[in-house]
Amino acid sequence: MLSEIAVIVIRGVAIGALFSIIAMSFNIVHNATRILNFAQGHIFILGGFAAYFLADNAGLPTWLLMLVLITLVIGVLVAAQGWLTLLPLRGNTSEQDSWMISTVSVSVIIAAILMLLYGPFAYSVSGPVPAFRIFGVKTPGAFVLAIAAMLGWYCLLSFFLRRTFTGLAISALSQDFDAARAAGLGVRRLQLLAFGISGMIAGSAGFMVAPIISVSPDAGMRYVLNGFIAAVVGGIGNNSGAVIGGPLVGVMAMLMAYKVGGAYQDLASLIVLVVILMFWPQGLFGRAAARRV
Amino acid sequence: MLEVRDLMAGYGDIPVLRGISLHAKPGEILLIGGENGAGKSTLMRAIAGFIKPSQGTVLLDGRPLTGLPPEKVAQSGLRLVLDGHRVFPELTVYDNLRMGVAARRGDRAGLAKSLEEIYAVFPILKEKAKARAHDLSGGQQQILALGQAFVAQPRVLLCDEPSLGVAQALLPPILSFLRRWAEGGTAVVIVDQHVKISLPYADRAMIVQRGEVVLDCPAGELDQQLANMHEARQRTYAES
Amino acid sequence: MASHNNTLAETAGPEVSLPARKGHFKSDGLQLRLGILLILLTGIGPSLLGNSYWEHTFQLVNIYIAVAVLQNFLFVDAGQKSFGQGAILGFGAYGLAIASGIHGLPLAVGVLAAVGAAMLGGLLFALPALRVQGFHLGFVTLSAAIVFPQLLIQFDDVTQGINGISLYLPALTKPVVFGLSGLTLLVTAVPIAALLMHYGIRNARLGRRMRLAAESAEAARSLGVRPGLMRALGFMIVSAGTGICGALYVPTVGFISPQGFLVELSFTLFFVVVVGGRGQLLGPIIGIWVIYIVPNVLLVQLVEYRLLIYGFLTLAVVIAFPDGLVGTVEARRRKRFQRGGGEQGFRLAPFTETLEKIAPRQVPAEAAPILEVRGAVKRFGQVVALDGVDLQVRPGEVHGLVGANGSGKTSLLNVISGFSQMDGGSYSFRGRDVTRQNAASIARMGLGRTFQTPRIFTGLSVWDNIQLGLDARPTPLEPEMAALAHRFKEAYGEDNPGLLAHGQRRLLEVIRVVFADPGLVLFDEPAAGLSPAERAEFSRLLRQLSKRLGVAVILVEHDLDLVWDIADRITVLETGTVVASGPPQALARDPAVQHLFVGGAHA
Repeated sequence: MLSEIAVIVIRGVAIGALFSIIAMSFNIVHNATRILNFAQGHIFILGGFAAYFLADNAGLPTWLLMLVLITLVIGVLVAAQGWLTLLPLRGNTSEQDSWMISTVSVSVIIAAILMLLYGPFAYSVSGPVPAFRIFGVKTPGAFVLAIAAMLGWYCLLSFFLRRTFTGLAISALSQDFDAARAAGLGVRRLQLLAFGISGMIAGSAGFMVAPIISVSPDAGMRYVLNGFIAAVVGGIGNNSGAVIGGPLVGVMAMLMAYKVGGAYQDLASLIVLVVILMFWPQGLFGRAAARRV
Repeated sequence: MLEVRDLMAGYGDIPVLRGISLHAKPGEILLIGGENGAGKSTLMRAIAGFIKPSQGTVLLDGRPLTGLPPEKVAQSGLRLVLDGHRVFPELTVYDNLRMGVAARRGDRAGLAKSLEEIYAVFPILKEKAKARAHDLSGGQQQILALGQAFVAQPRVLLCDEPSLGVAQALLPPILSFLRRWAEGGTAVVIVDQHVKISLPYADRAMIVQRGEVVLDCPAGELDQQLANMHEARQRTYAES
Repeated sequence: MASHNNTLAETAGPEVSLPARKGHFKSDGLQLRLGILLILLTGIGPSLLGNSYWEHTFQLVNIYIAVAVLQNFLFVDAGQKSFGQGAILGFGAYGLAIASGIHGLPLAVGVLAAVGAAMLGGLLFALPALRVQGFHLGFVTLSAAIVFPQLLIQFDDVTQGINGISLYLPALTKPVVFGLSGLTLLVTAVPIAALLMHYGIRNARLGRRMRLAAESAEAARSLGVRPGLMRALGFMIVSAGTGICGALYVPTVGFISPQGFLVELSFTLFFVVVVGGRGQLLGPIIGIWVIYIVPNVLLVQLVEYRLLIYGFLTLAVVIAFPDGLVGTVEARRRKRFQRGGGEQGFRLAPFTETLEKIAPRQVPAEAAPILEVRGAVKRFGQVVALDGVDLQVRPGEVHGLVGANGSGKTSLLNVISGFSQMDGGSYSFRGRDVTRQNAASIARMGLGRTFQTPRIFTGLSVWDNIQLGLDARPTPLEPEMAALAHRFKEAYGEDNPGLLAHGQRRLLEVIRVVFADPGLVLFDEPAAGLSPAERAEFSRLLRQLSKRLGVAVILVEHDLDLVWDIADRITVLETGTVVASGPPQALARDPAVQHLFVGGAHA
């Protein structure tokens, strides 16, 4: 019994770490632009595909090299997506929600390209960290990578946003948009950078945890939804909230899977989402007060 | 120097400014007064690029700034300090000051020197360098906002309501700081609803009403002119 | 029409004439006719040609058209972005298939089950929509679209999700007239009905009020409309219609399985609306032609590239033609043939003349106050915005409310109009305590307001903007006012409000509020941005409202000259308390007021 609970918690936290990572990739873009990139889950899966084709069974040096390379490439791609998304939002046009449509269409485009190239199959990838046993249960090594990726990105982002000039500028942008512009911060450039970083977060994570995710064209949707739920639970824009929210959602999903069967996971997610939005639309942990006049 | 010619602008479709012209020379403080809603803030925001003017031009040292986005205007050397002591609340005092470098033309290395200068005038900024800006009082936040602008070393400084929400005791140091700043060769424009406080520090004064300039005179004459205007108005009110 | 003109000529006589110009503001009528034509083409065309493959394909296309038309209505008229309409269609289809296909219940019961199931699904969207909007709602609908097919498989014993359900209705495939089967007629009639419904609701009171709620929740509440109710209603109407489409889907395909309702279907329907042109009646039909018919029917070899093409097309449309295909053409047409604007854009003179004809409503000097605020307190965290404010306004009185920024004027307006609740104190309106009432109910009792930025909706004609006020009116119009309304309709029915100058918009908003027959109107900085001439016209209008219609007015205004010119009483607020109150003459030299005037402190 105890070991069962431990397994649920470990698996839940590991899967939830993925949701946290996607939530953090939502957050940085949202803070800089008030946009939520619906394609974030597919970008994550893109990292998984890269792992399959470039680093399956690879040795650690190759794997690391590829990780860096893929992180950068996906970062650039998502920055380009950001440029496209921000195009119609220039100036004070009446149409300020075109981003919802354009990011959804990018998610469909990514899924369609993957489908055309690789078919509707789920690819299995083996990573550099071997499986190990906890409470006698075999546990994939990528679980460790998932949690490491979450904590790593959380620390990296915290450092970047609080210590570096550019990171501070992005924080400033999210705290007071007008004051940031008055101070002469290059708003558009910072926003593109935020998109790029969000791509690096999601892409690198997808690459690292490819062994434990379903590397298939249609898996992106599930991750984007759960990532969104983690973001909402933690309060959109709040990375610390996301780090708590993700594992919370993950453990809950695992508990559901254990009690009523894994097939109801998505239904459980939907119910959690509706309940949270009905009763705590600001998230369980709230969000640092930000002014944007 | 800053030169504004026949500026018309507003929010959305609401025309607020109905053709305003002004100029501000290096070394002097121009005080712009007017009642609530007269269009003072709109004027500042239109000059700084937050609002696209429907007509008119803004020139900085002869170069047109009209139509540039605010961040480009700031980088060109015209810095607006928004009303309501706006700082980045979650950033530390030091980081808030550091952000000023973004608009600094040319050398970014002068940051340390500018910081020394501002710390010398307002030691509180040095004492609280590691505190979050939201823990500061309104007046301290105003000082911080001005300090951030000072780090940028602009040619022209626009200050929207620098006395709003600031404790009385802090006003003289803030205003004399602006005075010395101007005397260092910067053109300073102060907008204030209550002209009385800042008038002694200003060289010239303008009064804006319903989006138009109704008074434009040397600072020393403003008192008398305003008193006349006010008396005339009160007479009409009492008679109506 | 001619007789109307005659009667108007009699009553209107030599009055100021209103402009008469050519051009139509909207092309809804034309789009409706074209849409019906295209639906007939895809609906009965293939059958007439006798091509059974195409007949079958286009039957399905027509069902999708109907669903897309409903989604278009939901998207723009109700303002709700749903990524999950494919799931709603599935709810409907499975409702019928389970009831009639598995359990053999009569078809009528099956159709009811379809509508009921779809509405249940719609409720899942409508409930969160009461609380949240935008991307939150987008994710809810999206996840529903993903979960729906999974659930069909999970609940296999109820839905036969794994094997699917067959339901053939041979009776429907028999020719009825001209060799057209009942099914063909139905799949032609349903999208036409959906289109007619869209047209009908849009041009009716319900549609206008729904659009109002979608465009500005605040303005809606100030005109007695509950935005949440309108959203929920929008979802319910669309779900019911989509449920009928779902019921029709079953006999059309003959066999249903979860494969028919994957998330791709929801995306496709959404893209159809965007590419065709959001809000354009013809949009979804053109969208289906471009996105569905061309790749699926004419370029069959490209079928696997379908989703990729949809994605790219949608992205390109959003970036290059945000109005969509039909919307872009319509925008060009409107630009070319638009009318309105200029000095004749909106004229107040006819209104003023009409008021002159109405006998002034005498307000007895001892009339009870229409509004009485007692000790109002409002806090925002640590900040006390209102600290025990008392205020009385009598019918027909113009009450000026002045004070510096942050003195509590806006908080007081918001509390009185019910937009925010008091933390202490109470107030009554028309003798009833309304402290805990919501904004829409208070508005329905006769409290109107205007906004700092006039809420003029550029998607509606100038006349429709006025009509929003009439829609909120609880009482019948006096004959003079009815005649005036008619003149406005004739003059401005096809005018584009986007061409109006700010001052004209301001006046237009006032006329709208007056048509709603309020007892008290709150004006929030109405003189901002008015030219001297417009300002004078506005003062006259305010005076007429109070003196001839007996409307009480609360005027929050920075332009002190205007306030002192027209107010009967003035209340001065400072940091949330009343520091002075009285007639303007008495107040002019009150020391408490001096700080408001530039140079006042010098005197």
